[in-house]
Order: sequence, then C-alpha cells, then structure tokens
Amino acid sequence: MAQDRGEEEEPPPTTEPARAEVDGGAVPVSVAWTPRGLLVAVEPMVRRLGGELREDPSGEGWFLTLADTEIAFGPGSDAITRGTEIVDLSRDPAFAPTAGVMAPLDFFQRTYGDLLGYRFEWDVDLGQLTIGRAERREVPVTLDVVHLQGVTTVVFQFPEAVRYQTETTARGVEVELLGASLPPSDWGRRDVEDPWVQNVELRETGFQIGLRPGARSESYTLTRPFRLVFDVYRSGTADRDLRPEAGSRDSLRPPQPREGLRTIVLDPGHGGEESGAVGPSGAMEKDLTLLLARALRSRLQSRLPVRVVLTRNEDAHLPLTTRTAIANQNKADLFLSIHLNSAAGVHAQAGGAETYFLSLQASDERAAQAAEVENRVTQSDASGGETRDVPASDEGDPLYDLQLILWDLAQSHHLSESQRLARLIQEELNSTLGLRDRGVKQAPFKVLMGAAMPAVLVELGFLSNPREEERLQDPAYRAQLVDALVRAISRYRVLVEGGVSEGGETAAAGGER
Amino acid sequence: MTPRGTWRAPSPSTLLILWLVGGLGGGLLACGQGADDGSPGAKPPDTDTAPATGGAGLGLPVDLYFPTVDGRLAVESRELPPSSEPTARIQGLVEALLAGPRSADVGLVRPLPKDVTLEGVYLGPGGVAFLDLRTPEPRSPPSVGSREEMQIVYSLVNSVALNVAEARRVVLLWNGRQPGTFAGHLDTSHPLAPDTGLVRR
Repeated sequence: MAQDRGEEEEPPPTTEPARAEVDGGAVPVSVAWTPRGLLVAVEPMVRRLGGELREDPSGEGWFLTLADTEIAFGPGSDAITRGTEIVDLSRDPAFAPTAGVMAPLDFFQRTYGDLLGYRFEWDVDLGQLTIGRAERREVPVTLDVVHLQGVTTVVFQFPEAVRYQTETTARGVEVELLGASLPPSDWGRRDVEDPWVQNVELRETGFQIGLRPGARSESYTLTRPFRLVFDVYRSGTADRDLRPEAGSRDSLRPPQPREGLRTIVLDPGHGGEESGAVGPSGAMEKDLTLLLARALRSRLQSRLPVRVVLTRNEDAHLPLTTRTAIANQNKADLFLSIHLNSAAGVHAQAGGAETYFLSLQASDERAAQAAEVENRVTQSDASGGETRDVPASDEGDPLYDLQLILWDLAQSHHLSESQRLARLIQEELNSTLGLRDRGVKQAPFKVLMGAAMPAVLVELGFLSNPREEERLQDPAYRAQLVDALVRAISRYRVLVEGGVSEGGETAAAGGER
Repeated sequence: MTPRGTWRAPSPSTLLILWLVGGLGGGLLACGQGADDGSPGAKPPDTDTAPATGGAGLGLPVDLYFPTVDGRLAVESRELPPSSEPTARIQGLVEALLAGPRSADVGLVRPLPKDVTLEGVYLGPGGVAFLDLRTPEPRSPPSVGSREEMQIVYSLVNSVALNVAEARRVVLLWNGRQPGTFAGHLDTSHPLAPDTGLVRR
C-alpha cells in the first residue's frame, strides 16, 4: 500500500558498484542495501533493456515507457501505476545523488519482466544480478481478415491473454509476443486480397501485417476470448470521417476510435410515476437522481469544455430506450446513468456505491439480435424489398457470422472503454467518500444497451439504508458525490484525449458481484 | 403430475412471440405506482417466514435462493415433493420461494410481496421456463433499486434453473405480460440464465 511521504525519513541510499549479466554480457550497475531491501539503479537498466525514462516536471517522480505502457513511480510510494493498473512493490523507489533513481528488484520484474518477458535474479553469493529472458509459452493463434466499408479488420484470436509490443515499419506492422510463441504449425505467410492489407506472416515470436502503400493501422484488444485486433484503413483519412458506402448500413461499421470528449449525456434514473427506490423515510430515487444530475451538469460545464445534455430535466417518465436514443442522437461521447440503490428487506443493511457497465452476455445477445435484424434487411434488399424472416438456423451463414463479428467488435470496443470509465468512477467514489467498495460490476441493464458510446450506470448509495438515505438528502454530501464524478470524468477525458495507450494490457473481468 | 396453477390466457405460441418481440410489457411500469401494498417503497417484512412442511428424507432436495438484507442471495436447502413433471417441480420451487424463508434469523427475506402468486408455469422449447406472477389487482412490479431488482429476479431464476435440469433459462411474466424491464434496470425481455454472482459464499 502507498506510504505517506515523510512518515519515516530515510537517508539517501549509499550505493556500491555491482555487476549485472544480461543475455551473457556484463553491465555495470549501482545497487544500495537499505533496511527495507535492495535497490538497483534504474537508468543503466533502461539503457540496456530499452524503454524511455523521463522525470516528472514536478520533480516528484519518473515515467518509464515500455511496450506502449507508461509506468509512473517515485520516492515515497510503494505503489506504481502501470498503464491503468496499480501495482504494489516491496518498497518505494528512492533517489541517490550518485546513481539517480533506484528501485527494488520487484519493480523491474513487474515492468520489464511482465511487459517484455525478462526475469531478474539476485545472486547473494556472487553479489550479481542476472537478467535473462523467461521461457516463452506456446500459444496457438487463429487469424481472420474481414474488409467492410473501407476498413480491414485483422483479428488474431488466442486461447489466453498474451502481452505484446508493436512497431510500425516501412513494410507494415511488426508484432512481437512477450513471453509467448506461436507453434510451428501456425507459422507461414498468408497473402490477402485486400485494398489495405497485403499479407500476414506468422512467425515463432510474433507476426507481421504487410500493409499496402498509404495504409495505416490501429490496434486494440478484446476479451473472452482474447483477441488482438488491427483496424487498417487509408492513411490520412480520420476514422470518423469514413463514410459508409452507398447503400450500406452505418450500424455495421467497425468500432471508431474517439478523438475526444465533447458531449456527455447524463441520465437521471427513473421519473414520473416510476419512483425508483424509496428510502425508509420516503426519499425517492427519481428526485435525488435529478438533483444530482443537474448539479453534475453544472459542475462539468464549469470545469470542462464539454456539452452536457440531460435525458430528463423534470419529474417525468422516460422509457429506457428513449434515454439511450437521446445519447445516440446527440452523438454523445459518454453516457452516464445516475441511480440510487436499494436492497431487499425492511432492515436492509447494504450500503456503498457501485458502478456498472454492460455485461458481455447481454452485449452478445444484443449483437445477435441486431445481426439478425440486419440480416433480414439484407435478405429484403436482395429480394427486391420483400422481407423474410431468417431462422436461427442461419447462424452458420457467412453473412450472419460476419455481422456478428462486426457487432461484437463494435460493442466490445465500447465495453472496454466503459469498463475503464467505470473503474475511474469507482476509484474516485471510494477514495473521496470512504464508501464501502462494492467494485466495478457488469449487469444486463437495459439502459446501457444500444448506447453507441461508452456507457456506465453508477449507483451512488443505498437509499434503503437509513444512514445513507439521510446523507443523500444532504446537499453538501451530494456535492461531494458530484465532485467525485467530475474528477473521474476529467481523468477519463485525459486518457481519451491524451492518447494514453493500453496496448498489450489485458482488460480485466468485471470484478466481483 | 399436473401443475396446480392453471395456465389461462396465453398459448405457448403467444408466449414465444412475447419472448421474441420482448419489450411488449415495457409499458407496464408506466401503468401503476409500483408499490407493494399501495404505498411506494413498501417492503415485505423480513421476519415473515414460511411454515415448515414435509419431513426430511421424503422429498426432492432443492436449494432455494432467497434475497438477504445485505443485498445478496443465500441458499436455503429444502426438500420438496418429488415429481416427474418439470413444470410441477418448478411450481413447487417458486411457491416455496414466494412463501418465504424458514430461517429469518439469518437475514433471508421473501423475494416479492406476500400477495404475489404464481398463476402458472410453462416450459417452452430450448429449456425456457415461463413463470406467470400475478397480483390481486393489476399493478407494476415493485419499484426498487437495481440491487434489489437483481435479488428478486435472480432469486427466481436461480431457484428454477439451478434445480430443474429441464429449465435452463427463465422468463418472468407479470400479470400475464413480459415486462421489458422488471423494475427499471434489468433487461427482462429475454430469457435469463442463472447468475450466481450475488450468492453469498
């Protein structure tokens, strides 16, 4: 866990020279023995093993970039951030005047080890650090290449999550698997008849996507099963500017990378005759969610250059599908549905905040439904306008399968963004309010279905809990909740607009329920 | 054995259409106040437990998933009258669930207000069980938060789908119609598979 700065003043570490063996070659390093463990100088490692190290302009920490992942670390905290993950170390890094920033051995294992496949061992007898490559595990891969409406999607599916790093060269995109290799039966080159992709070559340690002149690519990962996906399109054409071809269906477009956070749609839960949860003293969810949404809109508009739209601004009933439709019509970049919770029983004890994004099962069912509808339209188009139903047995139809793949890709892309936003919201609520952490969860919530953008439902407390009902009726407490949401959305905006990549990071599952 | 409840209005094909088009009952929530007994937010009493019936070793062992006051589900094991008819077993399960837990001291509560009854059970193709829940006077499902909605819905779904092998998924009908959402959060326009994420370990 993080330590408070200055809790226990530690003198600067006294360094001594040592030797590190890297792939059989020797590298001089500085080490320091401290009461809380061994420290190793970071800079020589970066020079030998790769990566980019830079000091935080504030002078309070450092950033190390490895395999498209940014690691933030510094003295005073034994927790580091690795991409969006928080990783605990055995002790905090320290600064030595003679050697620069130094870090414990597990820092290198959790960064160079986890991200690039190195392993680190300190030999006590020799006083030597040995650095080698961990053995690669063999993972088979399945390759799919789909082209539709100006975008070619190349999908590499694995039976388990893999880490990787990418590099764009003159020939295309080089992907190196970290700590994994492909079985010989998968090796080989596949030529592709495609406007943007020339071929895909699979090798022992990774693969190469050969791009035709003028093509560029973007990558992301999907889970369950784990897939590494590359969208390839014509260079110089922003993704969002791609227009569907004549007669095509916009809904079939692959996921669109978002360029910023411009429009936010806030959805105060329930309304009208639908009260939502009701507290022991009679406070209604529909009233409090409206107050919270209005306050949040005001705070967001004063803090961020964003347009904020409310799905309802009065005590009125609004169907769930209309709420999502409002978000879609406004081309929202983020949809946040605000709710208050309740638990069963007159003596319900549950309390705390929880944040939800759509469950994959619900998304998959939605995708199947949508693909079926699209398929009917297609059949109708092909038959001169006469619509006929397509039975479930058409699941083996290549068109049906293609539509499912594309819907799945689009929805999964939003799901991964939704999960990222949900995590930030939950973090802010937990740290600000000291609420019981109920974690980020997934559920088949209807209001999140059909949203063509990252969408999250937040439960800001249990109205069925008398203590929380009382707090939720206090404007000062609601202001704290609103501030926590503003901070979370601000952090999400930085991630989206700052282009922070999560390449190679596996999206975590939804968390406990 | 024939289920005790009589299936009244919808035919199996009507039920399937209800399921396929979904959302037909979505307007249900707009129809009434959503109260259990006429007052918003009224909850079933925690301590209202079912009388103990049936002797040990005489019946079919089942696990009933009851909501708990800490927002989860907990298992109460029982023995119910055995039957070769899956619909009869489903009916027995749901009626036992609606009657409430026997062990109130561990914080278990009934999933729905006392006046909600099971009108009938239909087991459709693909192992989809339809439960027709009725109230004496037409009214919407209880107006509750998402956690409580999940407790109610998965109390029923888990108890049926995890005890009756022939029922893999469950559709909840409320006064003969399938609501698009039960209490304003969950999508209930499709058959629901069991989810043990809420079950207290």
